[in-house]
Amino acid sequence: MVAVDIIFAPIFLSVLVYYLTKSTPQYTKYIALGWFIVEFFIAFSWYKDLPQVGFLELGNYLNVPQFGFDLTLRVDALSIAMLLLTSALLILVVFTSWEEKNQAAYFSLLIMFSGPIFGVFMTTNVLWFFIFWELTLVPMYFLVGIWGGEKRIYAAIKFFLFTHVFAMFMFVGFFLLFKQTGYWDLTLIKEAALTTPALIWWLMFLGFAAKLPVFPLHTWLPVAHVEAPSSISVLLAGVLLKMGAYGLIRFTVELMPAATKEFAIWMVIIGLTTTLFAGMLAIFERHIKRMVAYSSISHMGLVVVAVSTMTYDGLSAALYEMIGHALVISPLFLIAGWLHHKTHTWYMDEMGGIMKYAPYASAIFILAGMAALGLPGTMGFVGELTIIVSAIKAYGWWIAIIALGSLISAGYIIWAVRRSIHGEASDTVIKSDFSMTIAEKFALAVFAVLIVYFGINPQPIFDLANQAFGFLGGM
Amino acid sequence: MSFIILIAAGLLVPVFYKSNIFIAKLIAVLAFIASAYFVYTNQSLSSVFPLFVTDSATKLIEYVLLATLAAVSLSLTGFERPLIAQMLFIAGLSLAILETDNFFVFIVLFESIAIVSYILVANIRNFYNAEGAVKAFIAGAVASGIILLGFAFFSFTTESFTYSQMSVNGKFTLIAVAIMLAGVFYKLTIVPMHAWAADTYSQVNHAAAAILSGVIKSVMLIAIFKAFYKFMIAYPLATVLIFSFFAIITMTLANFMALWQKRISKILAYSSIAHSGYALIPFAAAASVYSYAGVLYYAIAYIFMQTSVFLILNDLRREGGVKFLEDIKGLGIKAPVHAFLFTVQLFSLAGIPLLAGFMSKAVAFYSGVDAGLWPIVLIAVLNSALAVAYYAWIVKHIYFDKPVNNVKLSITPGSLIGQLILLAGTIYFGIFASGVFNATISM
Repeated sequence: MVAVDIIFAPIFLSVLVYYLTKSTPQYTKYIALGWFIVEFFIAFSWYKDLPQVGFLELGNYLNVPQFGFDLTLRVDALSIAMLLLTSALLILVVFTSWEEKNQAAYFSLLIMFSGPIFGVFMTTNVLWFFIFWELTLVPMYFLVGIWGGEKRIYAAIKFFLFTHVFAMFMFVGFFLLFKQTGYWDLTLIKEAALTTPALIWWLMFLGFAAKLPVFPLHTWLPVAHVEAPSSISVLLAGVLLKMGAYGLIRFTVELMPAATKEFAIWMVIIGLTTTLFAGMLAIFERHIKRMVAYSSISHMGLVVVAVSTMTYDGLSAALYEMIGHALVISPLFLIAGWLHHKTHTWYMDEMGGIMKYAPYASAIFILAGMAALGLPGTMGFVGELTIIVSAIKAYGWWIAIIALGSLISAGYIIWAVRRSIHGEASDTVIKSDFSMTIAEKFALAVFAVLIVYFGINPQPIFDLANQAFGFLGGM
Repeated sequence: MSFIILIAAGLLVPVFYKSNIFIAKLIAVLAFIASAYFVYTNQSLSSVFPLFVTDSATKLIEYVLLATLAAVSLSLTGFERPLIAQMLFIAGLSLAILETDNFFVFIVLFESIAIVSYILVANIRNFYNAEGAVKAFIAGAVASGIILLGFAFFSFTTESFTYSQMSVNGKFTLIAVAIMLAGVFYKLTIVPMHAWAADTYSQVNHAAAAILSGVIKSVMLIAIFKAFYKFMIAYPLATVLIFSFFAIITMTLANFMALWQKRISKILAYSSIAHSGYALIPFAAAASVYSYAGVLYYAIAYIFMQTSVFLILNDLRREGGVKFLEDIKGLGIKAPVHAFLFTVQLFSLAGIPLLAGFMSKAVAFYSGVDAGLWPIVLIAVLNSALAVAYYAWIVKHIYFDKPVNNVKLSITPGSLIGQLILLAGTIYFGIFASGVFNATISM
């Protein structure tokens, strides 16, 4: 029963937690923290039980026999990777929002969010996948809309509508899958012959692409990221974007490999455009958080290209980059938001010289920035290198232009560091108070350690990838 | 038996109106519970009259209907007391129309419900009430005339009025059914016969609007589906063309109209019209085995959420004078319980998962895909995504905006119990779908 409880319990408990802790909001964060730690250990225990190949069965629930529709919970290495990442990020997000206002509501919504997001990565039933996919929007809508910046309402509604509209294409795609195969379960659908895979493929791709997001469906992301509180930006970048990449791997590659092969070239074109276009946008951006957001989009373009290769190397590179991106982009967002909180400006040219006043945050900003541009020894290097290598293997040397993405990112990261961290301190910076809570320091330190640890020792993630994509054959 | 109890209670209740509304409410709720019990033990009209049959799907919607009406009667105040008796009559007639398998009886009961619904909206207090009530009456009268005309044509061509034995051959039947559908569409508020609905729903007393738009419409959906099922099977091409055409224009137009409204009751009225459009998709997909499940699920989900939102709005208007979108700013602080319930039901209307509104849309739309109508379903899902815009906009006003004044609103115990019944229905049917599918297996 643990498996189904971990999804449904938080959705309903969050309401209870909210009303119980309304008068003593300071306890809500401990409840949230405890719950996320429990989730992490449950995910870890499933990882220990994982069979070498295929899925770990966690049971069937809520069966509707007439419709062939039940909540099938199964995890494989790919889902476990996502679950571990999600719960780890949630734990860190509690630390980074330690002093958020209106705590009872905020942390209850975080608890509510943790249910469906686990559902997305755990179920193999496509309709339930969609149900959880949509459910994650509700807490996010409130988290962005209530705790966000000035234009938070516009951002929240745009985010909600954008992902909802494109998810609807996916929804019809899932119906067509069931219509043609008679199964909702993707492990069963895999064996069935689809008569119109092209239509279904594109319907699904639209849904995942908007979530990733790729050019030209990315417009919700900079707004949402800028307006969301920085801890929520971490969840948006680290978890919600990963849903898109996860869906891409699960559905397009595993479910419809033939159609993916056919449209791979489109994926490459879209991924390349996204990487280069978003990178260029980041270069011209003065707004520090929007720059990080564009950099995030740019990295997602790389993931699309890696997924499109449909080789073992490409997919494991994609998985590595997904985890790497979450760990690299999160401290950048956190520090960008923190800088705004302290200096009351978003613009990098109004900062400068922060190194002198806030050395701890600056050091981690530089480290994460170097990881984002792919400095050897960090996660960014391994991720980008493996993606480029796998893409060249699959498509030939011309795909090496994707390396331009790294070049561009070197441009905007170094320039951003030059403008905000180094240089002359501006008046705003001199007047600001750069104190940081222990909880925030701890969270940033964890990110920094993980970036370096997995950068030097990427093997654990590739082991997971090996287990997840072993069916595609050896290196 | 349940029919007799409900009608008798309806006659008895007015005696207690003036003296003690609590007793009137108690009698009504007991009557609903008793008739639910008799439905459970199969002692309904079908055991006495040959013109009625019950099956598991009918029973399910009857339970839902009785529970909803009990919830409504709990949350009424003295001002709306005449509604209690009218609800009891509507419940009795609805049980009859759901159980009938005779086209003639269907028409008679259809008209009877229409007449009770005119009385329902006739609680006129001011000019606006009068406009809504008169519109409902005139549109209903025209619809009745059209249906009778169609029925007169239809009666030429068939020897039996029993659903399963009706003969539906020849062009004459097609014309007759088309005319009847025009009348029926008035009641289901399908564009272009929807014009009365937006004004009526938004301008009559909101508790009456809850019954009119929530309860009566979903009962009618199932009754009409059963009555016209034979026709829909006999003329698949015409069915697909007619119903998908009207489904598309209804939902698209209503959704766009709802986007521009400033009055909350108008938004909810147009959203109700849009929902009629979605509900026509399983009609168009009558060829699919899931069509009945689609209609049934849609009716069940719709009855809970639509009734609930209008009742909450009724509370808010009575206590806090809430009429326009501006008035509900900061409702999350001013009236947390109302705000929470309203948000959940709005999300259900919008089709957010784990709430009945999502599952009903999923089943209804799937029946469309199953019948091969996926382009229409695609239009419908995009429409329902569009609809999220105005539902999210209301929720935005509730939670994201600062309150204009600091009047705290509290919820009365009766209204809270009623709302919790409706909320339980919305959540139960959002998670456990097997009951509905089991019920339709007999069809």
